[in-house]
Amino acid sequence: MSPISIEPISENALLLVWPEKIEVEQHQYILAFQKKLTSDLKEYTKEFVSAYNSLVIYYDFTLISYSSIAQKVLEICHSGLTIDNDLDNEKVIEIPVYYSLESGWDLLNVAKQLKVSVEEVIDMHSNKPYRAYALGFTPGFCYLASVHQRLQLPRLNTPRAKIPKGAVAIAEQQTAIYPNESPGGWHILGQTPIEMYCINQTSGEFEPKVHIGHNIRFKPIDLEEFYDLGGNICYE
Amino acid sequence: MNNRVTLTKTSGNCTIQDLGRIQAQHIGFSVSGAADEFSFKSANKLLSNEMNTPALEVTLGQLTLIAHCDCTFIVTGADCNAKINDKSIDHWKVSRLNNGDTLTLLMPHKGLISYVAFYGGISSKVFYNSASQTKNEKNLGVFEPILATDYTICLTEGCLNNSLASHSLSVDYKRWLNFDDDLILRFIPNKTWEQLQHQSKEKVISQEYQIESNSNRMGYRLSGANAITEKLEQGLSKPVTFGTIQLPPNGQPIILMKERQTIGGYPTIGTVIQVDLFRLSQKRAGQKVKLFPTSIEQAQAQLMAFNQRFT
Repeated sequence: MSPISIEPISENALLLVWPEKIEVEQHQYILAFQKKLTSDLKEYTKEFVSAYNSLVIYYDFTLISYSSIAQKVLEICHSGLTIDNDLDNEKVIEIPVYYSLESGWDLLNVAKQLKVSVEEVIDMHSNKPYRAYALGFTPGFCYLASVHQRLQLPRLNTPRAKIPKGAVAIAEQQTAIYPNESPGGWHILGQTPIEMYCINQTSGEFEPKVHIGHNIRFKPIDLEEFYDLGGNICYE
Repeated sequence: MNNRVTLTKTSGNCTIQDLGRIQAQHIGFSVSGAADEFSFKSANKLLSNEMNTPALEVTLGQLTLIAHCDCTFIVTGADCNAKINDKSIDHWKVSRLNNGDTLTLLMPHKGLISYVAFYGGISSKVFYNSASQTKNEKNLGVFEPILATDYTICLTEGCLNNSLASHSLSVDYKRWLNFDDDLILRFIPNKTWEQLQHQSKEKVISQEYQIESNSNRMGYRLSGANAITEKLEQGLSKPVTFGTIQLPPNGQPIILMKERQTIGGYPTIGTVIQVDLFRLSQKRAGQKVKLFPTSIEQAQAQLMAFNQRFT
């Protein structure tokens, strides 16, 4: 599974790209590859950022030239790799969601556009597990995929200036939970009462609820449960 | 800690910055950091500070602070006609604030960003080895809250060093940081660029772009008379870096700056080289820039030479 392209995208970073598809096996390979590079190229590298089909390696360009590090990366790739399933968490993280017309600002519109009922939208969104493919956009924001083919819609034409904290939303093949209020162009189906990250008081470390490679499932809850779990509906 | 200064007036565009947190991108944190590394590093060098020492980054001046201690400091970057108690001080030159003194920065006539740096730096909350603040992450509580009026900033224990007095930068900074001229932004082209139609490439490198007013520490939006109309493949979201040139559907480039997000979905055509990004960060809306391709080797050589100035 060699990358289809490798190129410099900064003085201190190179980008590896695999075929343009959201696929578990390819993503597992990228994570395993990243793990191997982390140990084999430790002396040169500073940070790795991965997404669906890509990996960026930040390195110290005063220690190694672009062509040399690119060469080393390709050599490691060609030396073969065993996919380490330990990186995958078998257990499925459950995220409670209050799907409703007041918490799901776009729920009715999504149903109308897809010509299905609101109940069907909720069912399609919550009846399958999703894999976490990338963390980014904003801290704690996790790109999850893939949503049911019949539930796929392009982003809103005009992004909203404010999407509430806890919003559960979809765009194309992806779904995600907004960990904090932020701008965004995804369709909101509901809201979750739970926090998507915490900051460890002793270590000061940032701990996202969902890590890359995790599997999650959305569990529909009613208003009472939503309030019991500390939820607070944000109205449009 | 008794050594501190209080902000008595701020326009709201004042943050604590160092060289940013490169190692928290994998969990979605913006790298952030000083926008104009030339002015920032010059300040730390003249103060004999470590290069990564946090300082105040002030956009468009309009800042007043009162010292509650004697301290050694410097103002670099855009010239804000800095005054201590109504007496003008030299820009790019180490000075001393005495307990009770007021330091005032006015709106600069040229440029955008100034740094107020103290000997020993600012002591503030550090997260992933950086004190840099990011506007979009202010609710997380991992670094100092946004600096508003009456905010008190703690300095270090030994913030006074009279032996540095009158250290100042040679005139070459003027050559390096030219606030007036149109800027040529050299960029490292990527594969999408190589595959663009000849006509689209010509459009990008031959036209003058104007900096739009909604440009900020996250990104600089450019607009040119000839939008790139060639349809580009959107692809899956991928990591982006400092200087990534995005080409959204409207065909007008966006250049990602220090407070960029970590992953982006728009097609990209390359990356502006860092030494040109430091200059760009001092440009205001309405100023003109051009784009021109260079190579990764050139980009690295330029950045290496830049960093050697400060060693």
